[in-house]
Formats: sequence, structure tokens, C-alpha cells
Amino acid sequence: MTKISKTSTPETEQSSRRDFFRKTAAYSISAIAATTVLSPAKLLADDENIIHHTPWGTTLGDELNKNPYGLPSPYEHNVVRRTASLLSSAGDMHAAISLSPLAEMDGIITPNGLFFTRTHNGVAHIDPNKHRLMIHGMIDKPIVLTMDDIKKYPRESVIHFLECPSNGAAEWKAPQFNSLQFVKGMMSCTEWTGVRLKTILADLGVKPEAKWMLAEGGDGSEMSRTVPVEKVMDDAMIVYAMNGEALRAEQGYPIRLLLPGWEANLCVKWLKRLEFGDEPWYCKEETSKYTTLMPSGKAIQHFYPLEVNSIITSPCPEKPWTELKKGDIVEIEGLAWSGKGTVKLVDISFDGGKNWVEANLKGLVLPKAWTRFSYIYKYDGKPLLLQSRAMDDADDVQPTVNQEKAIIGVEGVYHRNAICTWEVKENGEVNNVQVRS
Amino acid sequence: MFKYDRKLITTGLVAILISSVSAFGYEGKKDALDGGMTYPRVNGDYTAYKINENIDKVKINNGRTPTANELKAWDRDIMPDGTGLPDGEGSVEDGDELYESLCAVCHGDFGAGGVGYPTLTGGDISSLTNQRTVPGKDAPKRTIGTYWPQASTLIWYTRDAMPYAHPKSLTNNELYAITAYLLAANGIKVDGQEMDDEFVLSKENFLKIEMPNKDGFYPDIDGKDGIENVRKFFADGKNYGAVGKRCMSNCKDPGMEDVEATVMGIDYELTDVKPPYNNTRNLPKVKKTNSHPGKEGYDKNCAVCHATDTMGAPRLGDSEAWAKITKQGLQKTMIHTIEGIGGMPPKGGNKDLTEWQIQLILDYMISNSK
Ligand code: HEC
Ligand code: HEC
Repeated sequence: MTKISKTSTPETEQSSRRDFFRKTAAYSISAIAATTVLSPAKLLADDENIIHHTPWGTTLGDELNKNPYGLPSPYEHNVVRRTASLLSSAGDMHAAISLSPLAEMDGIITPNGLFFTRTHNGVAHIDPNKHRLMIHGMIDKPIVLTMDDIKKYPRESVIHFLECPSNGAAEWKAPQFNSLQFVKGMMSCTEWTGVRLKTILADLGVKPEAKWMLAEGGDGSEMSRTVPVEKVMDDAMIVYAMNGEALRAEQGYPIRLLLPGWEANLCVKWLKRLEFGDEPWYCKEETSKYTTLMPSGKAIQHFYPLEVNSIITSPCPEKPWTELKKGDIVEIEGLAWSGKGTVKLVDISFDGGKNWVEANLKGLVLPKAWTRFSYIYKYDGKPLLLQSRAMDDADDVQPTVNQEKAIIGVEGVYHRNAICTWEVKENGEVNNVQVRS
Repeated sequence: MFKYDRKLITTGLVAILISSVSAFGYEGKKDALDGGMTYPRVNGDYTAYKINENIDKVKINNGRTPTANELKAWDRDIMPDGTGLPDGEGSVEDGDELYESLCAVCHGDFGAGGVGYPTLTGGDISSLTNQRTVPGKDAPKRTIGTYWPQASTLIWYTRDAMPYAHPKSLTNNELYAITAYLLAANGIKVDGQEMDDEFVLSKENFLKIEMPNKDGFYPDIDGKDGIENVRKFFADGKNYGAVGKRCMSNCKDPGMEDVEATVMGIDYELTDVKPPYNNTRNLPKVKKTNSHPGKEGYDKNCAVCHATDTMGAPRLGDSEAWAKITKQGLQKTMIHTIEGIGGMPPKGGNKDLTEWQIQLILDYMISNSK
């Protein structure tokens, strides 16, 4: 405190208001921080934003209900989903994918407008009054449900991530995108509300020989998948709400299937039909696509769970450390998740995977949900190879790029969960790289 | 958040609890089909969630029984054993013609791709072992002929999802013809025979189609052991790359102990993202006024002829002329626009227009000519 007073110039001492600000700041900030934040040079320049009145402080704001449905601040207009023509199976954007801006997102809940989106025949806009769900096949009592019928069942809410199994698929051979959004943005995490399928099926008498369930969508592509009944009876749901409001059209309004932890593609959107049977159906999206081609020339089919995974979200290419000075204290933050269970721990490496320290988990730690991790770090200005490595309660640990490649090769497209590396350069820039041996 | 495992505590293994993280968790069991965890719903808890267990004890009778006609209308999936195959038939030759007019715009001549849409034919099944880390190797070719295990998938998907902009518009005969053409173009045999132009595909010979990569997938999901095969597959992480180990210091990949790890950076960065990267926080530029999404395309590509009658083109706003056109149906109007008709060049002369763009333009023209 005394040290700061001494270095103050007469000019700043003239203003009692500024003096007050300086004192409170100095009292409340720890010794290391004070020397950097309140360095004499900074004290010299007045911040115009403090000295002058602001436009928003001197005018009447908008009427409170100008937007009956609220919108983000206009200043946030660059926080959006992004897409790339490489990620489209078409010359247009009706069968393509858009990715969530993970670098700009906080906590474990994705706002509905930023939820990643994959469609196979554009975004269908279904009239909920005309939508029907038919459940039939190897069950004693086939039924048709309206939306009102579906909402009459007792509801449950759960927080789960959804991830496209092609998340990171551009990276098998080599790193290609230099952003967190395009390295890992084919996933989001939401509080879903709906009815457990088991609750509906309790009255319908699923026959013991029914081993599979076909889930079919009502969009133009009639997107369909075959699901094992065992999963249906464990934790499958039919959901109609996300984060407290109706599903967005892009997420399957008015209903979608939710299979916690499994490929988002299996969580059929615009759901219209469930049929039970004793043999699988061989839909287009479980044969031509969503099968993992191995070096043997044979492919894995019915590859359901998204395996344990993690990524550092700060720093990242979009949020570099270019403004940091040696000695600054920063938080390394990230997301971990596992479709097989609950994140148990996350380790961090600064040297590209040779040595590791355990990070802290932070906030809610829920099964098959995003989990935040955190590590407090004193920046020393040296280049780093930052990695995170998650472990779940099924005791799965993320493999290295080499370990995964040795088994899957580089042509599998789906289910990439190898450890990711951010290169932090001496100037604080952050780049997407891979460590290979 | 996490609960201690009661069994461990009562058997006095508290010391292990402190040193070993594996004793924390939601009392789940590693017994799920996918090799992962299941969690119990007990004492009003499901992991961290509170639940109403009475939900699990009731049978709720909602909805109603579907009628026979409703079941018939919706239960139309086509399975590998032939369940659901429609009546009808179609020849390779007819399919060729239909393919040219309905599908080639997007999937290329003979299904060879090249227009940015999926490639439907070509390649060799031996390419499936290609790895592009090996110099000189191309990507594996995953087409109907080299990759798809079942022909039922093709006819089912084509009926429900194609042509892309007008799904479910094909008749059963058209469907068999196009399917026959695509199978023939992939060199697929039926009952040991090559499919020539005269070959007619129908329900009767469909199950004799021999898909070359039928056995190219695992685990084996068919038959009564299907589910157990899946369980066995997931029980061993080596099957699918779940082989990570938790090492804390001086870690090296197994077998790579003597190799110094290298850092591979981005050689060729993909930057063509939409909207372009930008993480500044500022006010957006004022947006243009809302106009019909087809207007811009019309102004650029069609107005030159359609703004007046002078070239013999139906004028925008001429309700009589447009009533005649719309009467023939959208499908036909689309085909005329794509292929050209009389003095009208294919796609108005701009071959880069996608079917979707043309649809928007037509919607603009039709709705402004009422
Ligand atoms: C306007 C463009 C367009 C037209 C016309 C079109 N398709 Fe497609 N087709 C697509 C797109 C886009 C996909 C990929 C959809 C996806 O990502 O799920 C596709 C996928 C397919 C597939 C699956 C390919 C694969 O490898 O998984 C088949 C088979 C197919 N189309 C057949 C047809 C047939 C037959 C016709 C004509 C009756 C047709 N298509 C017309 C755009 C088109
Ligand atoms: C070079 C002049 C020219 C251009 C450019 C042109 N058209 Fe035409 N169009 C014609 C003429 C001439 C006809 C009348 C053809 C006939 O009936 O013989 C016509 C007819 C049509 C018809 C009626 C077809 C039918 O089914 O009878 C449609 C629809 C149409 N045009 C749409 C378009 C669209 C969409 C575009 C822009 C993408 C376009 N045209 C660009 C000259 C043109």
C-alpha cells in the first residue's frame, strides 16, 4: 500500500475518487497481483470508460418486453455455430454438420441456439398437433401416441451430452483445423426432459424374443437406427424439452430419442416410430455410414458408446495466452466426458504426455455428462505441449494418438478419442498439434 | 457429490479408499452392453438425481391402438430377409433413364460422384484395406458395391430419402428400376449372373442379390447370439482402441520406449469455415431487409428471359401462363427447369445451381405469378 502511494504522481492524487479506487483495489488484491495490476504506468492513464458517462448510463433502456422471446446481447453475435464445406455430404447445407463454439461456452450446459446440429435432409419443421408416435412390432399392445399423450407420462430431467461420433474425424491423419470449435465442437450438453421409455413400455408387454428396436424419424430422410432393447430398458428416454423449453427444430422438435452416452446419430430426431423385433434392420446410417473401417478392411458396426474423452478449453487456439505475462496466475480449464459412465479424474501434461499431474474436477460430476476440470497454473512464458487425459468409472483411460492409431488405423472416421495436444508457443499463441512417436 | 462405497467401508478398507480413486462413484456396476456402467435407481436416488421411484411401479395406459391401415401406412421398412419389399418391378434400362433424369445432377453420371454429393459406384473392395499413411494409397472406396452389406438398405433408403429434394416421390416400379440400375452399375451379381440392361428386378429375385461386402462387418449382430456378440465385442477394449493406461511420469507409448516423440503441426490448415472465424465482441452490421430467399437467384439467373414475354418465356406475374405450368406438378416443372425445355436452357444456363436453389427460385416465381 505505502509503496503504491509513493509512486503515485501528484496528478492522480488530485482526484479523491481515483484515490479511493486505487486504495480499495490495492487492499483487495494479493501482493503479487497488485504489483502487476496496479503498476505505476497503469495508474498514469485514466480509463475513459470510468472517467466519462456511458451512452447506456445516460439514456432510457429498451422496454423490458421488447423481445418477448429473449435474445443474446447483440455484442455476442459472433458466438455462433460454424460449419465447413468439408463437413457436408452435399454441395449444399442440408446434409451437413454445424459445430458448437466451445471456446465461448461456460459450465456444462449448452444454450439451445448453440447446440451442434447434424441433419440428413435439412431441418424438418413438424406440426406438433399432427405428430404421432407409433410403437409396435413384437409387443402385446401396439399404440399410437399424440404429443399430449406423451406429455401425460411422468417426466424426468437429466443432464447428458450428445456427441457426433465423427467429432474430430478430420484429425485422424494429421491436424487440419486450428480451432477448438472444429477440433471438438460436434458435441453439446443439455438438461433433457421427457419420459423414460421403460415407463411407456411397462404397459405394452415387450415380448422376450424382441432383442432390437427400430427408431425412425419423420424428416425427409426418415433417419432410422436399430437399438438393442437392453439399452432401451436401461436409460433410454423420449425427450421433448431441452434446458427447460421445447426441443429446437434442429434437435428434433417435437420429440427425439435419447440414448445417454451413445452416438448422437442413434438419438433419432423427429421421432415417429418405434418397432420391436428379433433381428436388426440394417439402416443406411448403420451400414454405409457410422461404421468404423479398420486396417483389416473389415468394419465395426453397431459401435454405440462415445468413449472417455477430454479437451482443454482454455487456453485454446481461439483463447490464446498472448496477453499473459511471466508470473501471471491462470486457470487451465477443460471439459471431460464419457458415454460409458462418469468422469473419475483428469490429468494434465505440460510436456506432450511424458509427465502428468492430476487436475481438479469442478462443479457437477454427472454420468454421461460434460464435466469441468481445472488446474491453477503460474505462467512462466516457456513453450508448452498441453494435454488432458480423462479416466471414467469404467476405468477407461483416453489412449494416445499412437495407441489409438495402432488399432483403428486412420480411415475409421468415427469414435476418435485420442489425447489432444495444444502447442503453447513462447508468444502465447496456441495451435492444434499432435504428439506422435 | 460422490458417495463412498458402503461395502468397502464396512469391511474396513478405508485406507484403500483414500489412496485409490476407484472406490468413488455412484455405486454403479460395469455391466452395460457397451462395456460401460449402469446405475441403480434405489432409495429415491439415481446417481446425483432424486427420483420418484413410484414411476417404476406403475403401468400407464395412454394412447390408443393403431388401426390396420395406419400400421400398413407406416410399417414399411425393408429388412434383409425381404420383409417389407413392395410389389412392382423395374429393369436396369429403365433405371438408367430414371437415374439420368432424377439422380445424376447430384450423384454424377453413372453414380461416379464428382459433384460434391456421395459417390454411389466404383472402386474395388480391395481398397478397403488402404491406409493413407502408406505412400501412394488412396482413400478406401466405400460405395454400394464395395461396402454396403445389404441390398435391402439401398431400396429402403432410396424409397424413403431420395431424390433428396422430393423424397418418397418414386413409384414402386421406378424404385425397382433405379435400384436395379445402381446394383448393375456397381457390377453386382444376382444369383451368380451379371445384370444386363434387360434384367428386371422385383420382389421375386431380390433376395438373390449378392452383395460383395456382406461379411465385411463385425460383431455379428444377426440371429439369436447377436446381442451377446455385441457384449463380447465391447468387453475387450483392444477390439476398438480402448487401451489407454494411466501413467504419471516418464510415459512412453508401449513399444516406443526408444523413440523420441515428434510434434506434428498443421500442414494444410482448413480455414473455409462459415461464418468466418471471429471472436470480437462488437455490434453487428445492420442486416438487409428480408426478401424471398429465391429472389436473388431469380434476379441473377432467370430475370433476363422471364421478366418479359419477348423470348417466349412465361413472364413473372403472368398468372395465366404460370397456372398452366403449375398444373403439371412441381416434379415436372423441376425437371423442365433442370433439363431445359424449348428455348429454355437447362437450369436457365447456370449449371452450378443446386436443386435446392432452383426450388427456392421456382417458389419465388410461382408465388409472384398468382
Ligand atoms: C439434390 C441432390 C440429390 C439428388 C437429386 C439425389 N440425391 Fe441421393 N443423396 C444426396 C445427398 C446429399 C446424400 C447424403 C445424405 C446424407 O448425408 O445422409 C445422398 C445419399 C444417397 C445415397 C446413399 C449414399 C451413401 O453412400 O450413403 C443413395 C443410395 C442415393 N443418395 C441415391 C439417390 C438416388 C437413387 C437418386 C435419384 C432417385 C438420388 N439419390 C438423387 C443428394 C441427392
Ligand atoms: C435464356 C432464356 C431463359 C432463361 C435464362 C431462363 N429461362 Fe425459363 N424459360 C425460357 C423459355 C423460352 C421458356 C418456355 C419454354 C417452352 O415452353 O418452350 C421457359 C420456361 C420455363 C419454365 C416453364 C417450364 C415448363 O414446365 O413448361 C420454368 C419453370 C422456367 N422457365 C424456370 C426458369 C428458371 C427457374 C430460370 C432461372 C434459373 C430460368 N427459367 C431461366 C427461357 C429462359
